[in-house]
Amino acid sequence: MADLSANLGFCTLKNPVITASGTFGYGEEFLPFYDLDILGAIVMKGIFKEPRPGNPPPRLHETPAGLLNSIGLAGPGSGKLQEIIRRLRAKTTVPVIVNVCGEDDGEFAEVAGIFSAMDEVAMLELNISCPNVKKGGACPAQDAKHTFRLVRRVKERIRKPLIVKLSPNAADIVAVAQAAEEAGADAVSLVNTFLGLAVDLDKRQSVFANTLAGLSGPAIKPLALKLVWEVCRQVRIPVIGMGGITSGRDVLDYILVGAAAVQIGTVNFYEPAAAVRIIGEIQAEMDKLKIKDLSEIRGQLQA
Amino acid sequence: MLDERGLIEEARSLDGGYYQLKIAAPRIAAAAKPGNFVMVRVSPSLDPLLRRPFGILESRPPHIWLYYQVLGRGTRLLSALGHGDSLDILGPLGNSFAEMPGKRVLLIAGGRGIVPLFHYAQAYAGRQPLFMLYGGRGRADLPLLDRIKALPLRGLFIFSEDGSIGQKGLLTDGLEKIVRTERPDITLSCGPEAMLARLARMLKPEKTENHASLEALMGCGFGVCHGCAVQTVAGSYRKVCDEGPVFPLEEIRWPT
Ligand SMILES: Cc1cc2nc3c(=O)[nH]c(=O)nc-3n(C[C@H](O)[C@H](O)[C@H](O)COP(=O)(O)OP(=O)(O)OC[C@H]3O[C@@H](n4cnc5c(N)ncnc54)[C@H](O)[C@@H]3O)c2cc1C
Ligand SMILES: Cc1cc2nc3c(=O)[nH]c(=O)nc-3n(C[C@H](O)[C@H](O)[C@H](O)COP(=O)(O)O)c2cc1C
Ligand code: FES
Repeated sequence: MADLSANLGFCTLKNPVITASGTFGYGEEFLPFYDLDILGAIVMKGIFKEPRPGNPPPRLHETPAGLLNSIGLAGPGSGKLQEIIRRLRAKTTVPVIVNVCGEDDGEFAEVAGIFSAMDEVAMLELNISCPNVKKGGACPAQDAKHTFRLVRRVKERIRKPLIVKLSPNAADIVAVAQAAEEAGADAVSLVNTFLGLAVDLDKRQSVFANTLAGLSGPAIKPLALKLVWEVCRQVRIPVIGMGGITSGRDVLDYILVGAAAVQIGTVNFYEPAAAVRIIGEIQAEMDKLKIKDLSEIRGQLQA
Repeated sequence: MLDERGLIEEARSLDGGYYQLKIAAPRIAAAAKPGNFVMVRVSPSLDPLLRRPFGILESRPPHIWLYYQVLGRGTRLLSALGHGDSLDILGPLGNSFAEMPGKRVLLIAGGRGIVPLFHYAQAYAGRQPLFMLYGGRGRADLPLLDRIKALPLRGLFIFSEDGSIGQKGLLTDGLEKIVRTERPDITLSCGPEAMLARLARMLKPEKTENHASLEALMGCGFGVCHGCAVQTVAGSYRKVCDEGPVFPLEEIRWPT
């Protein structure tokens, strides 16, 4: 049987399937569906220092095979999340990744410091790419210099491996990935959602109060796969790929272009036990294609 | 809460663009309470991507019944399914309308809002004094009327906007009088947002305890996407899927 383990350099995951931030709650919500220990890791929904109410409704808009969201990172704040993580630890041994957010660089560093100090947390993912915090979708990951500064500052505060989550809305995502690498990131993950717009023709205004929203789901997969491929060729640190994954084959596509692991997002909403199916499909697909382990195909795209 | 493959045993089209499905889903049926809802994957394809929420009209294990109106793509695809087709159904979800032994309860249903209240009436009529105020645009909008008449209700009041059945007008036109004569302790309501907003202005919490079941756009139905937020009068947001769908009527900030 094929070996599914995913080597990130600084650690090895049981398999390449990680559940994506904002699409998996705080893990607990999925306990009725399956044993989280089967996963490579889970990423918590993005967290700020203090509680946040989120954006006014509507917060969702469905598009063909896609989903636009403007949730606005609603959440209970870092104190409450610490409690939730401790509670979760009693129920699963799956590696927990905290998705760290901030209104400014100081808050990013502070929140990263808080969760770096928790034994129950395996690593941190720096969410410098959420399009739903500032109006117009601005975020640090649009700018290589800002990314470098911020990642360096956060690295000084923490002892845990740091994944930096990149935005597909950056003019030059490769430059931003390289800036993160240079500043000491242990890995990069991409993509966060693509900025999109949906309008209400009758009212002649955007569907969303913030005007723009973030697109996810199968609709974005070819766009995301291209960006992951480009970044993989230009950085040495491991890359975690995501965007529109719904099957085992999709996962192997991302590995083929160079990803070391993947995250699955929107699929969790409409198929709560999707990860179980997807891990099974990776196994079956690798056996069928006679692939013994993921390193055999990782980055092997002929182009 | 579980994700169960349900088997459609009967699909009926009713008046007014409504449809009714009888689905074998033994585990969901066994756990469903009046007010709960389910998330249905209307197609195995990736478009439409998200499941659609529907109330549970009736549950008699091993079956549940859904009753829905065709609005857009998802419900149109659902209406094309028939006997022998299967559907992924997540449920039962959300909170429920509690049984209130000994209390006089007025059920207020507008259009498809009848769904959770029919379930309630069927489960508890005969065990407690129930009254129902049911309204729609016209006769075709109330295709469940014959079945409702067969329930042991203490009183049934029908309104239609076009006067084709019952009294002519909005159901809220009859509300004050019914509250005066039937003296309910509690009202349970479900229907269009404008109707619930009107109820919130008319019903006084000192006189009746008021609970309403809400609708919202839903991404997941089990609390993880935060897409279904509704604003409270205090200004905070609540998730309709797992903190509701039933809320105290006074707690919600209704459009004016
Ligand atoms: C808890 C809950 C219980 C529900 N129970 C029932 C039920 O028992 N029977 C029934 O017929 N319907 C019910 N609904 C509404 C039902 O979910 C929507 O009608 C359905 O999702 C529309 O899907 P569609 O693909 O056909 O329409 P879409 O193409 O998605 O939308 C068509 C139109 O309907 C509007 N719409 C979409 N979703 C909703 C919604 N959730 N609420 C109000 N308007 C919406 C859209 O804005 C659009 O204008 C319920 C909704 C909720 C949240
Ligand atoms: C409703 C929703 C909320 C999200 N919240 C976060 C978040 O808090 N932090 C983050 O880094 N990414 C967030 N994302 C982005 C996802 O983690 C992922 O990058 C994106 O959805 C692409 O993957 P997918 O196509 O598999 O969903 C969110 C996505 C959605 C749909
Ligand atoms: S529908 Fe996803 S949280 Fe309520």
